[in-house]
Amino acid sequence: MAKTLGPVRRKFSPWNDPTAKPLIEFRNVVKRFGDFTAVDDVSLGIYEREFFALLGPSGCGKTTLMRMLAGFEHPSEGEIRLAGASLAGKQPYERPVNMMFQSYALFPHMSVEKNIAFGLVMDKMPKGEIETRVQEMLKLVKLEKFAKRKPHQLSGGQRQRVALARSLAKRPKVLLLDEPLGALDKKLREETQFELMDLQQELGMTFLIVTHDQEEAMTVADRIAVMDHGKLIQVAGPSEIYEQPNSRYVADFIGDINIVEGRVTAIDGGLIRMEAAAPRVSIVMEDDAATSVGATAWMAVRPEKVRISHDAPIETGVNAVHGEVWDIGYIGDTSVYHVKLDDGGTFRAAVANVSRTVERPIGWDDRVWLTWSKTAGVVLTA
Amino acid sequence: MKKHLIASVFVSGVAMATGAAAQEKVVNVYNWSDYIDESILEDFTKETGIKVKYDVFDSNELLETKLLAGKTGYDVVVPSGNFLGRQIQTGVFTPLDKSKLPNLKYMWPVVTDILAKYDPGNKYSVNYMWGTTGIGYNVAKVKERIPDAPLDSWKLALDPEYVLKLKDCGVMMLDAPDEIVPAVMNYLGIDPDSKKPEDLKKAAEYFKKIRPAIRKFHSSEYINALANGDVCLVIGWSGDIKQAASRAEEKNKTVTDPKKKVEIGYIIPKEGAYMFFDNFVIPKDAKNVEEAYAFINYMMKPEVIAKASNYVKYPNGNLESQKYVDKAVLEDKSVYPSLETMKKLYVISPFDQKSQRVLTQVWRDMKRK
Amino acid sequence: MSTEKSRSGRFLLVGIPYAWMLVFFLVPFLIVAKISLSTSVMALPPYAPVVESLTDLWRKIGEFSFFNYLRLVQESIYVESYLSSLWIAFSSTVIMLFIAYPLAYGMARAPKAWRPTLLMLVILPFWTSFLIRVYAWIGILADEGLLNWLLVSLRVVDEPITFLATQRAVYIGIIYSYLPFMVLPLYSSLEKMDETLLEAAQDLGCTSFQAFWRVTFPLSIPGVIAGSFLVFIPAVGEFVIPDLLGGSDTVMIGKTLWEEFFNNRDWPAASAVAITLLLLLVVPIVIFQNAQAKAQEAGR
Ligand SMILES: Nc1ncnc2c1ncn2[C@@H]1O[C@H](COP(=O)(O)OP(=O)(O)O)[C@@H](O)[C@H]1O
Ligand SMILES: [Mg+2]
Repeated sequence: MAKTLGPVRRKFSPWNDPTAKPLIEFRNVVKRFGDFTAVDDVSLGIYEREFFALLGPSGCGKTTLMRMLAGFEHPSEGEIRLAGASLAGKQPYERPVNMMFQSYALFPHMSVEKNIAFGLVMDKMPKGEIETRVQEMLKLVKLEKFAKRKPHQLSGGQRQRVALARSLAKRPKVLLLDEPLGALDKKLREETQFELMDLQQELGMTFLIVTHDQEEAMTVADRIAVMDHGKLIQVAGPSEIYEQPNSRYVADFIGDINIVEGRVTAIDGGLIRMEAAAPRVSIVMEDDAATSVGATAWMAVRPEKVRISHDAPIETGVNAVHGEVWDIGYIGDTSVYHVKLDDGGTFRAAVANVSRTVERPIGWDDRVWLTWSKTAGVVLTA
Repeated sequence: MKKHLIASVFVSGVAMATGAAAQEKVVNVYNWSDYIDESILEDFTKETGIKVKYDVFDSNELLETKLLAGKTGYDVVVPSGNFLGRQIQTGVFTPLDKSKLPNLKYMWPVVTDILAKYDPGNKYSVNYMWGTTGIGYNVAKVKERIPDAPLDSWKLALDPEYVLKLKDCGVMMLDAPDEIVPAVMNYLGIDPDSKKPEDLKKAAEYFKKIRPAIRKFHSSEYINALANGDVCLVIGWSGDIKQAASRAEEKNKTVTDPKKKVEIGYIIPKEGAYMFFDNFVIPKDAKNVEEAYAFINYMMKPEVIAKASNYVKYPNGNLESQKYVDKAVLEDKSVYPSLETMKKLYVISPFDQKSQRVLTQVWRDMKRK
Repeated sequence: MSTEKSRSGRFLLVGIPYAWMLVFFLVPFLIVAKISLSTSVMALPPYAPVVESLTDLWRKIGEFSFFNYLRLVQESIYVESYLSSLWIAFSSTVIMLFIAYPLAYGMARAPKAWRPTLLMLVILPFWTSFLIRVYAWIGILADEGLLNWLLVSLRVVDEPITFLATQRAVYIGIIYSYLPFMVLPLYSSLEKMDETLLEAAQDLGCTSFQAFWRVTFPLSIPGVIAGSFLVFIPAVGEFVIPDLLGGSDTVMIGKTLWEEFFNNRDWPAASAVAITLLLLLVVPIVIFQNAQAKAQEAGR
């Protein structure tokens, strides 16, 4: 199912369309708790039908940002707009936004059914319609058999699905999901991720998900905002975030990466040349990063884009380092080689295990060369 | 006589001072609160070497319940007459060995004869103090409201024509059914000692007429209330009303406004009044019997009991002691009534179970508005 | 050998509470029950058993001596006292609920740092004797007392209101004395409530007021029940407060029992009153325990 989504998704990119208006708009939003700034000057547009992820380490302000949208916190500065209108002064119950809470916040004194119907009852929906909608929701989250149970009689995964059903029941314009899958085990979490994506497509809603799990964000989201200390560091699609991180912070946060610090020695025709001290290496990268000769910059390259070999490359002076293998991580589909460089530091290379036997396998303590092409990595200025 | 909760809670434990201090001689005494000059106890210890463990109560009911539950740990207790009567029937007391009480010879036959009504042959008890239940009043306030007040009669307290006029300045009565109900019957010309339910009910029926005038039934609060001028008429115990009078006098010294001075009078009504007796007895299970005798005998010394009367302003049952009682006390007819008045005083025999039940019920109705 | 030892150890551990209940509850109860089946006599002790022994019990079972209990229905004062006690206890429980709920709610929603202090203030009165506190109310409620002084000087009333020796004073006394027992369970059930539940309710369309009635209140019901029973049950048998603050018009079973015991010196009748009171209270106690068990099962 998820595979069929691929092409649909690729076509969906209203953020590149200058005429498109975002559904949700954060304008220079600041949130302070006392003298602590939890959200720091965030400006962001989220488009209708978008699946948007807020990613960042714990405590970086993701929940706070989301709670401001739901109406539980109010911006200290700036404003939040929904469908072109400011949300300032609107109570949570007046916003066409529903939230699935990190702790699920199911009402312990109500059955699954009653929990799901809660928002509909509050909206004074006719009884019959409520029943139909509740049944529909129960079916959607596959909990038909558990309608009469109380939350404490359910497993963690079932509770999470009740919480999801409850927040979806009102068909809000925007659904906010705060670490919705945090309490689930890995397999269930992956399954649910795909279910969420299906749902979002099916219902045509805008989802804003908060997570600290980069894989999750990469899997589900159309775009990801990486946050750090209340600030947005980068907002982009998953592949761009992965391949074109705009900073060491993002590069490091998303996946595994080798970073080498150096000094820019020349910039010409889309090529940046750098000299690094530790490890001692000359670097040439095809990149248009805004830097200048003499400035400090960083070259980042993903382990799977580093070639590992017993043999020295033809051109040993550029984009090549050597050292000794001191650890090998075997992760099923790939092997990760940790190499202790002769010039100091470590470097990692990942190799896909495409065949069951290899002619000259690389083993512990082997001396190896690591090389990468000038398009394999990026040059970072921050 | 006095029923007051605070004492029944505070006076909880008893000094079970037997056995442990084998050498030390002790007597455990359980008496009414505020009913002795404490220096007498010290003198007793000095003279005999016997330590007094003194504990107090203020309701006959409490004392009786303790006695009936048994093992009180007391060697001398002081029940009032009609309670004494029924307690003797239950066999909780030791008959007195009169050879150990040489001072019995000083007792006043007038009193011992009346007391014999409760304790035939005076076999179990020796009188400590006695007194009357009469009317205490605020002289100025009563005169102001009733210029021709009958200051010698129960009419003042029991005739609605008078007592209703005192409603605004406050009327209180003892919360003691065994004293108020007989007083009402006596006033109505019924034998105050009658136990017939219809007589008791007649008293209750009559009482409705004056009930609106009464602010409260309580057996100890009235002392202060009277002294402070919060109430202007009470039916209470002679000694207590005397105490209220002297408290008022003390207070008057500090008051300059003559209107605020309080003068308290006490009336033993001419129709007759209840005469009560508080008496020493020795519980059957007393551990320190010899010491108990020594204590009772000591209290019967004329000089000693005179000192006690001077202090508490109640008359005692010791004729010889009258030589030593202060003139002011002895000659105060509201403390020591004349013999003529004494003839009109009445006593009440114990209520048996059935009549007690009727009395409780009647009293409950009387107290209700 | 060691299992033998641990088994006997466990037995002891489980046994202690039962032994406690046996010695301090069941045995006294049986003694009182036995006295209630006796006749009152002028003796020491002042009752004579009607049933002497077990064999005697079988013999007499047909003519069981329930006359003390019979009296409770025959004489109107007992029924009246029971009903009036139940009513006074019930209505003061309801009033207390109305006072205690906002109090407990305010405490539970107060900043975390304040809560221990607020809790302390609720518990503070327990540092002085109950009796002394009730006595203090005499001074407050008297005609010339603090309350009337305040009312008169604020010109709320012209003449002092008579509080003392009225039903009003009994209510004031009971409510004052038992309020903490209502506040504490309410507080504990409100305090442990997850605040995100309220946010969830608001998120789903509730105003704060609706969220209170649909979420907060239902979830605090175990506290409401616990608090109500904690105050209702002792209030029914209350003696001190009606005795000190009430007038002759306040009939409560505690007082009637006192009269039976002290004035009438009828221990069997007093025991019958007490046993009946106990049985009357067993019903609400059982309801209470059921509710507690249910709440426990619900995991909240
Ligand atoms: N109500 C509050 N009062 C004070 N500090 C808060 C409050 N809510 C959140 N914070 C702080 O703001 C920061 C961001 O919190 P949050 O948005 O919950 O982070 P996360 O990214 O883990 O969801 C944290 O350091 C947190 O301690
Ligand atoms: Mg969070």
